[in-house]
Amino acid sequence: MFWTVTLSLIKGLGAATQLFFLTLLFGLPLGLVVAFGSMSKWQPFRFLLYGQETPGPATRWLAELRPISGLTNIIVWIIRGTPLMLQLIIIFYGPGLWFDNNIWSFSAGRMSACTLAFVINYACYFSVIFRGGIEGVPVGQREAGEVLGMTKRQIFFKVTLLQMVKRVVPPMSNEIITLVKDTSLARIIAITELIKAGEAFMKSNGITWPLFYTAVYYLLFVGILTIIFNYIERKLSYFR
Amino acid sequence: MSILEVNHIEKHFGATKVLNDISFSLEQGQALSIIGSSGSGKTTLLRCLNFLEKPDNGTISVQGNVIFDAADPATQNEKEIRAKRLHFGMVFQNFNLFPQYTVLQNVTLARELLAKERGGESKESIVKAGRELLAQMGLADRADHYPHQLSGGQQQRVAIARALALHPDILCFDEPTSALDPELTGEVLRVIRSLAEQKTTMIIVTHEMAFARDVADQVIFMDGGVIVEQGDPREVIDHPKEERTRQFLARYSEN
Repeated sequence: MFWTVTLSLIKGLGAATQLFFLTLLFGLPLGLVVAFGSMSKWQPFRFLLYGQETPGPATRWLAELRPISGLTNIIVWIIRGTPLMLQLIIIFYGPGLWFDNNIWSFSAGRMSACTLAFVINYACYFSVIFRGGIEGVPVGQREAGEVLGMTKRQIFFKVTLLQMVKRVVPPMSNEIITLVKDTSLARIIAITELIKAGEAFMKSNGITWPLFYTAVYYLLFVGILTIIFNYIERKLSYFR
Repeated sequence: MSILEVNHIEKHFGATKVLNDISFSLEQGQALSIIGSSGSGKTTLLRCLNFLEKPDNGTISVQGNVIFDAADPATQNEKEIRAKRLHFGMVFQNFNLFPQYTVLQNVTLARELLAKERGGESKESIVKAGRELLAQMGLADRADHYPHQLSGGQQQRVAIARALALHPDILCFDEPTSALDPELTGEVLRVIRSLAEQKTTMIIVTHEMAFARDVADQVIFMDGGVIVEQGDPREVIDHPKEERTRQFLARYSEN
């Protein structure tokens, strides 16, 4: 029995691990893009203020509007403000229900829909962490690079990047550990991840220990991540 | 010919005029001190010279060449600005050393990047020059430390070495001792003094009146974004002509 359960759980672990790495693979870069979006200072209606001595409140509002940053912040608010479970359900069932077109009907469809939901959700959380890391590097660092004749590129790669990474590691490790456990939400669209695999034995054989057994996998997974993050933090502790 | 000529510089932040019709010139090998209360525009003026702020009006010339003209966009080309910046060195109030690099790497980084781009200097000669500069600052034994392992005064001396490494024509100091504990200001002022003795062309924004008077060949007193009085330091600081200068200096001697 133990081996049957173990084999089944390893299959579940496979799905969870796949979801975990795909979310990181796409979510981290997307998070960086979203972070830059939310920091965008582009004000396309700025020209409305030119030559205006006393602009009205509406003109002023429009002139100071930063559409990219504003839109990004609204999206981040919606995604962070609603449960991932709800987003998962809408992304998977939405197209079929509203457009009579289940775009997820191919063989890896469930996993794809699930990955999409996770990537969007986590990119939003990551973006806030990235933004904190970028804005946390003092302006003086960039200015010091500028007066030393460095290019913007050199300043980013040689000066600010590592300081940003250092700032980002602790909050990022938190978020990534949460992601490990959030993979269990995939069952809501019938993906057999760890807990669903364990629970199946409770229903069919009336045994509960496989459920506790799943916890061991999570603990191991998170344990390994903790070791990795501690290592990175230690590696970056040589400067302040 | 003056090494630096600044003509009619103006700078606004929104509706506030922070610099108004600033003109002065500086001769090779001279030190200029800029004094004035906080918010008088001293720092903004230095930042304009270093292209950290863009003046709304006026021109800046180095060795007779116009390097910035607010009316001529051709002088504001991004790529050229990078090269023009190298006429000026900048020492910041908060040092702004790069924390992830050693003291020596802080001094050599920019020069190595430039050498890589333009060819020329070998890495060895850059490192050698860097070590010499650090020795000159009395920091030879700190070359392999990281900035956070140094005192504020030591960090500021590293920042001076870092600026000198690129051989700027004019070295600018933005309140170099304001972020330091009083007992650490001496070591930084000594270094600046010795640079003055070696005829380094410098602009020093400072609150140290005695220092400004001793070191500078010329003093500018600024208030409300304008130059109120300028000239020989003994004249301006000891015998100010303008009422505003007198009031400012009186407040200083009270403290």
